Amino acid sequence: MLYPERFEVIVVGGGHAGTEAALAAARMGSRTLLLTHNIETLGQMSCNPSIGGIGKGHLVREVDALGGAMALATDEAGIQFRTLNGSKGPAVRATRAQADRSLYKAAIRRRLETQQNLTLFQQAVEDLTLAGDRVTGVVTQLGIRFEADAVVLTTGTFLSGLVHVGLTNHPAGRAGDPACVGLAARLRELKLPVGRLKTGTPPRLDGRSIDFSVMEEQPGDDPVPVFSFMGTVAMHPRQLPCWITHTNAGTHELIRNSLDRSPMFSGVIEGVGPRYCPSIEDKVVRFSAKDSHQVFLEPEGLDTPEIYPNGISTSLPFDVQLAVVRSIRGLQNAHILRPGYAIEYDYFDPRGLHASLETRAIGGLFFAGQINGTTGYEEAAAQGLLAGVNAARAARNDAPWIPGRDQAYLGVLVDDLVTQGVTEPYRMFTSRAEYRLSLREDNADLRLTEAGRALGLVDDVRWARFEAKREAVSRERERLRNTWVNPRLTGAAALESLLGKVPAEAHRLDELLRRPGVDYAGLMGLEGVGPAVADAEVAFQVEVQVKYQGYIERQKDEVSRREQLESLWLPADLDYQAVRGLSVEVRQKLERHRPETLGQASRIDGMTPAAISLLLVHLKRGGGLAGNARLAGGTR
Amino acid sequence: MAIVRLSGPHAETIAEAVAGKLPAVRTARLALFRDESGEPFDQGLILRFQAPASYTGENLVEFHCHGGAVPRQALVQRCVSLGARVAEPGEFSLRAFLNGRLDLAQAEAVADLIDADSGSAARAAMRSLQGDFSGRVAKLMAGLVDLRVLLEAAIDFPEEELDVLREYQVRERLQQALADVASVRESARLGRVLRDGIQVVLVGPPNVGKSSLLNRLAGETVAIVTDIPGTTRDTVRCELVLDGVPVHVTDTAGLRESSDPVERIGMERTRSAARGADVLLVMTEAGASAPRQNPEGLPPEALQIQVESKADLLPAEAASPPAGVLRVSAHTGHGLDALRQAILNAAGWREGAGEGLFLARQRHLDALDTACRHLATALEFEGPTVDLVAEELRLAHRSLEAVGGRMSADALLGEIFSRFCIGK
Repeated sequence: MLYPERFEVIVVGGGHAGTEAALAAARMGSRTLLLTHNIETLGQMSCNPSIGGIGKGHLVREVDALGGAMALATDEAGIQFRTLNGSKGPAVRATRAQADRSLYKAAIRRRLETQQNLTLFQQAVEDLTLAGDRVTGVVTQLGIRFEADAVVLTTGTFLSGLVHVGLTNHPAGRAGDPACVGLAARLRELKLPVGRLKTGTPPRLDGRSIDFSVMEEQPGDDPVPVFSFMGTVAMHPRQLPCWITHTNAGTHELIRNSLDRSPMFSGVIEGVGPRYCPSIEDKVVRFSAKDSHQVFLEPEGLDTPEIYPNGISTSLPFDVQLAVVRSIRGLQNAHILRPGYAIEYDYFDPRGLHASLETRAIGGLFFAGQINGTTGYEEAAAQGLLAGVNAARAARNDAPWIPGRDQAYLGVLVDDLVTQGVTEPYRMFTSRAEYRLSLREDNADLRLTEAGRALGLVDDVRWARFEAKREAVSRERERLRNTWVNPRLTGAAALESLLGKVPAEAHRLDELLRRPGVDYAGLMGLEGVGPAVADAEVAFQVEVQVKYQGYIERQKDEVSRREQLESLWLPADLDYQAVRGLSVEVRQKLERHRPETLGQASRIDGMTPAAISLLLVHLKRGGGLAGNARLAGGTR
Repeated sequence: MAIVRLSGPHAETIAEAVAGKLPAVRTARLALFRDESGEPFDQGLILRFQAPASYTGENLVEFHCHGGAVPRQALVQRCVSLGARVAEPGEFSLRAFLNGRLDLAQAEAVADLIDADSGSAARAAMRSLQGDFSGRVAKLMAGLVDLRVLLEAAIDFPEEELDVLREYQVRERLQQALADVASVRESARLGRVLRDGIQVVLVGPPNVGKSSLLNRLAGETVAIVTDIPGTTRDTVRCELVLDGVPVHVTDTAGLRESSDPVERIGMERTRSAARGADVLLVMTEAGASAPRQNPEGLPPEALQIQVESKADLLPAEAASPPAGVLRVSAHTGHGLDALRQAILNAAGWREGAGEGLFLARQRHLDALDTACRHLATALEFEGPTVDLVAEELRLAHRSLEAVGGRMSADALLGEIFSRFCIGK
């Protein structure tokens, strides 16, 4: 049957990408349908129950600034909060939280169920309906047809999933579901290039069988960090510590003796696993000189004894898993609740996407999350939000919103995906961001709330609070710029203890704050300089902005120098054979990637400046520059 | 001997028409070169290279013919009549660059070789061409990459059990990297002195003998010399080579109060020439009572050599010049060797420095300077600023990438296009 109501946006999948996509489209006022094969698993954390970390925490704050759910849900579900890199500088500081699995799911589900314009429906999707090269809707398992202007697929690892435990393997969880097979077959027909990736999980342990007394306790931070701009410590449930133990020579011996039964080392697994998250057998083989590795024991929730031993992900046979676990200090009697496993799955080469996350092959069809070769809840949520926004905009014939690399980690993420593709599951790191000093967790609100407001993602309450903070920051910076400290009027002793010596002349407060070793609180302690702003967030923001000012300005220069390259659009039908002087290797790369701008081309791995120069020469000779003004004006 | 080189898809066809059967690839053969009617007009060697293993990356044939103008012209004309065209200056190198046979530093070295001023410069260009400079920069970059790897690991993987910053002596490595970059920079700076030469400007009051000194240095009459003060109204230049280094000497109008508008324009030119000087020769007359002073309107930071002229007119018992002042005579040549050495010293040239240098361009120097500055800043940080140290390293790395010609496409374009004729 044809479902009687028509939607503007349909989101397929209820994971972290799907829920943010559906919420974003609905917040923007689009009639949105979220289709999931199981409403009970909406917002499920299927792997490690932790949110944030370096680079990832940055993404969570950005999703939050755009009105997304992840940060607030974490504030409601987090049972341990820490700030990482606290001593390495504000740009690389990041928040990480351990979340209670069921509280998190409940927090997400409540938001979905109370979101205006959003309809939930439990049905697996069997097929897409197309008209030419545009998507027109989906068909579910029961044959129900839903029509929409745009469809966002966030189907995770379902494509040809294969779970390995030892040398035995079986098609992944949803194999019995005919809809997935149908959708997978349909997607294959689209001839999108497909790659294969691998990821793994450790065996889960029963906390009641663990001797924590011999382990190092890792408490959360005090004061407790908060994730969302709108969050408070009062939202947090009861807090729990994590625990640290280590593998030992005996553990490694066990693993080495069992490698012949490892699907990784016996060649059964073809997919590429992430280098930054190796299995324990991988660590033992590759770093054979190290006779001990850390294992973090992370609680999965307040009301469950289940423990996630982070650091021993494995696909060894169960008997080896049990022996390995029990060889570890404090785990001698541990009971495994669920065996660890590796999963191989297909992904679509993200170079087949526009930067809006719309597929190049099918108009109105968007991909977000693991289907694009990424890993991680945060990466999925960020893409989901972007795909939801652009699906809603596509439904109204609005141009897509594409955040720049200088604006957000979200911009870095999609630009990396669509220009470089992936060779392993893509995870965010701060070193991927050349404008890292500008893209901080602490200023995610200042970078994105305004854009979010313009897009229709940010509600009145958040907007009012944001404006108040922005105003307070700019007022205080103004005051620091206009207030002078005169060494003849301010106490010499206080000045000396703050600055090391008494300055000869009068200085502006912001000049003094810029000096190494001087902080806002210390500066405000000087006689006649206060009062300091009361809001600690504002004070911190002022301090960071003043201290980083020189660097931020330099990065802005860099951005504007690159703008020319970024705004030179390469025609979609550019004949690279006709560009004189390109090496075969470079030509093949360009043909495979089909970059949309010269800026994207310059970031393709292995691209030489000579090649970029040749492209520019080619364009200037008339091989496409004429159309450029139109293109550049029309699409951005 | 002259070499005529054909490059491009039709090189072999044309060569075959001139010289008959071609030798095997990468071998030479003796052949008769024949005109349209089949008459031989010269005899010589013919060498054959095939794409992509040739200098330009294209099919390439070389004729080694007799060096006289007549046989050379005949050969070129014969090739042109068969469809070849005379190459633009630097076009072979341009094609080599475009076909990925040369990196940018090498391509520029070829351009330098073409317009090198002196033998030392040509040797330095050759060294650049062989990739010495690129090689040393690549080594510097590898060092920086190592450091960046450490810092980025410390930032992106804080939960690993590594105290990278202490364990791997990041500070010591940073200091080493800075020293390495600075050492390449010094070689490159002297290389630039070799390429661009030393700009020497003569200034001083009228009739102090500037033009006589210029003529003496040049060994010929390039400036009109009279005993009338103010004879030199405009700047006069000559080129010399000292210890293999090109030196450009500029004589200027004497500086004095004058109401003559022509002379005043000349003095303005003097000041502008002096502003571009690497070395300023400030001349006074030996035994003159007037105290030496910094002539007005000259850049005080320019390297100055105080010179007393007309030493031959001094009585034999005259006192020695004050320390740091050279006494010369353009008439007898007295003190000129010391002056030549002083010029080289002032420009930072050491004896035998021509060995091991790279021919660097201002662009290379700027990049190495920038890298030095960022590394020095990185060393200044203390406390919780790993993010800023990492940023300085990124910037240092990026500036070197511009030398290797590997990343910053945009900035290089103008340079490439100004050197090579592309896309009319």
